[in-house]
Amino acid sequence: MTAALTRAERPYDPADISSLEFWSSTAKDREKVFAELRADRPISWHRPVKNGLFEDPNDQGFWAVVRHADLVEVTRRPGDFLSGEGILFESMPKELLDAGQGFIAMDPPRHTKIRRLLASAFTPKQLARIDEHIVANARRIVDDIADKGEVDFVAEVAALVPMHNICDMVGIPEEHRRTIAYESQFPDGWRDPRLLQGAEPLARVAQAILTVHGIAMELVEARRRKPEDDLITALVQAEVDGERLTDEEICSIFFLLIIAGNDTTRQSTSHGLKALTDFPDQRAWLMEDLDGRMPSAVEEIVRWATPIMTFRRTAAHDTELGGHLITEGDKVIMFYSSANMDTEVFDHPELLDLSRSPNKHVAFGGGGIHHCLGAQLARRQLNATFRELLTRLPDIHVVGEPELGNGNFFHTVMSMTAQFTPEKR
Amino acid sequence: MKVVVDRSRCSSIGMCEAIAPDLFEIGPDGALHILQDDVPESRRADVEQACSDCPTQALSIQ
Repeated sequence: MTAALTRAERPYDPADISSLEFWSSTAKDREKVFAELRADRPISWHRPVKNGLFEDPNDQGFWAVVRHADLVEVTRRPGDFLSGEGILFESMPKELLDAGQGFIAMDPPRHTKIRRLLASAFTPKQLARIDEHIVANARRIVDDIADKGEVDFVAEVAALVPMHNICDMVGIPEEHRRTIAYESQFPDGWRDPRLLQGAEPLARVAQAILTVHGIAMELVEARRRKPEDDLITALVQAEVDGERLTDEEICSIFFLLIIAGNDTTRQSTSHGLKALTDFPDQRAWLMEDLDGRMPSAVEEIVRWATPIMTFRRTAAHDTELGGHLITEGDKVIMFYSSANMDTEVFDHPELLDLSRSPNKHVAFGGGGIHHCLGAQLARRQLNATFRELLTRLPDIHVVGEPELGNGNFFHTVMSMTAQFTPEKR
Repeated sequence: MKVVVDRSRCSSIGMCEAIAPDLFEIGPDGALHILQDDVPESRRADVEQACSDCPTQALSIQ
């Protein structure tokens, strides 16, 4: 074990994974740095990430966890590595954390009780029950583009599939959906001037939260008057330790559901179409038996996309990880995009292999208590969307390079042109 | 074989149900239910995986 150094004394690793430039490059470029770290310095200490949102004078850096096995270990030690201090790289004002991160930034026992309220809505059996809605949503989205021949695939397909499905489940009516999906981009997209359009980052994030909370409160009051079969009603009626959730708690959970529901599957769908464009042999293999091969294809698309690139934990106390002494309060960042390229676990991870089996990717998490609640929903959505696209628009492909985001959380595709032969009506 | 769940540990994450939906189910109350009292020996591999994948080590074979 290395000697116990305070945060201020620890030397920074020479590899840059903290700058905006690093996060503005491509996954392929970032992977060169991660490959070096995985091989030589799997647990390494880095200078604080360039923030731009909120300056935290106590933020002295973070540990980077880049290997698959270490990421799984951190995930499965929730008593040592906490989520309650925040799950993003950046430090955040406490109010923002409470308002925007719901139960993902909570620790047991509260996390367990809140998550349990929602668990039954996302089980494989429950999602099988609503699969026809998911398929119908995919169909209606493809209906709307089928005669166009060229679209911005992000705006017209990838963003809409998860938007409709999560809004159906949560109980958000049509008139609020586009606002909700748009505002949900800011909690990660504040670094991006294309999205901010001159707004001050912290103020814009706060505005997004206020807007979404306003809609949430309107729906909460409506469900209190007249319950429906949706998640807002479940939250309104829920009791934890004999008490109802507060309006603030419901809004925070609502916000988490719409961000986690929208911004993840959106990225997987976009990266998925790009991958199918770049690997025509894999696509041909998939088309030979679309029904039979789609499940393994979906897993590989999710690994390939890794829509969430990082999650943070904070050390609860002095502890050990991979031979390093981690001191209480240290930020520990797990790099999912790196773990999903770990050659200890994946043969030729740089190649899309839709038949990959087993596929022990960590895109839904490393198997801990915060494991993706919506994993089954994501799988069904990707299955339905690609089935609909590849059946009805069999030559759909990406033209040019996607315009990528510059965040360190979501693996964002901002826009991406797709072309196809229009469907004959 | 009999599969038991330690209710003081189970957090209803649902990894077990994803592995074997015919054996495990998170009910509408958010609690995990074991659907078969006596799980056939032929399902041992799935049950063992469910036990080892459980994030809170709440499952065991009796």
